[in-house]
Amino acid sequence: MVNKVKAFIIYFWLTVFLIVVLFPFIWMIITSLKPIGTGLTLTIIPRPPTLSNYKSVLTQYKFGRYFVNSLIVASIGALGATVLCTMAAFAFAKLEFPLKRPLFGMFLSVLMVPGLMFVVPQFAIVYRLGWINTYKAMIIPHLANVFGMFLLVQYMKTIPDELVDAARVDGANNWTIFLKLIVPLSGAMIATVFLLTFQFHWNNFLWQLIVATDEHMYTVPVGLAMFRSAHEELHTLKMAASAISILPITMIFIFAQRYFIEGILRGAIKG
Amino acid sequence: MVSRTSWQAYLFIIPFAIFFAIFLGYPFFYALYLSFHKVTDIYDAFNALKFVHLHNYIKLMKDVEFWWSILMSLLYGAITIPLSIFVSLILANLLHRTFSLVKLYRTGFFLPYLLDVFVVAIVWKFLYAHPYGIITQLLQRIGINIPPLLASPKTAMLSVAIAMTLKGCGFGMLLYLAGLQNIPRSLYEAASIDGAPPWKQLFYITLPMLKPITLFMVVTGIIGALSAFAEFYGMTGGGPIIRVGSHILGCTKVAGLYLFRNLESLKLGYAAAISFVLLIIALIISAVSAKLLRVEW
Repeated sequence: MVNKVKAFIIYFWLTVFLIVVLFPFIWMIITSLKPIGTGLTLTIIPRPPTLSNYKSVLTQYKFGRYFVNSLIVASIGALGATVLCTMAAFAFAKLEFPLKRPLFGMFLSVLMVPGLMFVVPQFAIVYRLGWINTYKAMIIPHLANVFGMFLLVQYMKTIPDELVDAARVDGANNWTIFLKLIVPLSGAMIATVFLLTFQFHWNNFLWQLIVATDEHMYTVPVGLAMFRSAHEELHTLKMAASAISILPITMIFIFAQRYFIEGILRGAIKG
Repeated sequence: MVSRTSWQAYLFIIPFAIFFAIFLGYPFFYALYLSFHKVTDIYDAFNALKFVHLHNYIKLMKDVEFWWSILMSLLYGAITIPLSIFVSLILANLLHRTFSLVKLYRTGFFLPYLLDVFVVAIVWKFLYAHPYGIITQLLQRIGINIPPLLASPKTAMLSVAIAMTLKGCGFGMLLYLAGLQNIPRSLYEAASIDGAPPWKQLFYITLPMLKPITLFMVVTGIIGALSAFAEFYGMTGGGPIIRVGSHILGCTKVAGLYLFRNLESLKLGYAAAISFVLLIIALIISAVSAKLLRVEW
């Protein structure tokens, strides 16, 4: 009996907290389903619920295009970074070579530096290369994902060296060992790094705001910033655009939760 | 034993190293270079650089608006860090048991952490809107009149901090939850036998065992507060404005926002100097926190 009461109290408080934490998103969705011009009403069930805000935001206000831009940047950015990280991580985890430790230390030192530090010089470099308003500008400066590489090195170190040695005795070269042995065995962590990099790019607002000045190159959050300053009062549309921006990460997280959680825990606890 | 030493290792590292060198290594030094220069022609900012010795740094030392922005960033950290640690600890303790719905709750608390700060800021601004936003209206219905939370000097910073704590607390929850699961049960059993009440167990076992996580939260929190930008860009734009002596200052104009404004107006040298001072401050505070919490790195 005492245990049941205790469990009830715990459930109760957890539910209260959960509603508070998720309330902004619930209210965002409710508002986005209300007819335009009624965004400030307190009705909980929109009368009648409408998808017209979504339609209008995607077509008339070009969020369809921004969404595609975000998708291109995040997918290619994540794919490229994951390939580079995996290759480098293999060398650090399973091969010996001169200058291994200093190189690794140099790469990792970047993790101590606030991200804001790099914005000014990276912008100057991208500008001088003439990359403003290109996908390149959004993707290439973030290809060397140090955190992702660190996660992969830690993971690959747990693969027994005997497996690698056995493959070598059988005549496999480094490239074969990498592709046929290490990559398949590190699949879960490679997926984690891909997803975390995808999420990083999807949310890389400040950088995208600086390098995308042409409407055709806006990503979803940049588009939202511009829409907001032009149409502050169109609340239902603003919330529809916000919902569209949040949807992909939410879906990915629900289906691939364990990859995100594992990556973040490993990164924090060992890092 | 087969030799694993191989020059081929470099082939695997080179692609990563090239992009690291161009976009993370070189920029560090380029920023240092820029911080000793001044743009003389904003229409040709990148070629019209003039060497000005320590001019930018000297100007920075005397720049009230800059030090104010650092102070506001630190204030933001001083609110969000303890608040996040407190909320995360409570959530982790509530979730640290084996009932069927734990995973569902964990998912719900953690999800907002992964979402874009700017978009979440836009949603919160809508909730805080005055006088027609839902928070104001609901409080009004139960007879509480509140000032415009994001536009009043006393409440603006706190309101942003609360919104972002609720967004980010899932991260700390996850770390503390993992930490709690790693504390050996035998410690509590021994304490119970010795007659230690639950609150003593909390202060003498649980909290000390979680210290490394708390340190991690503090250090990443400081770096995060000094880099904070999108939440303020989205919710307050740096306002509301107050008058301090002869200076007009923004109550939420944090360092990230100040840096962005300088970059926007192409004051590259000055913006680079700001970056370096921020870096130094972040490193000093992180080192001091590590000392204070007395945890080995």
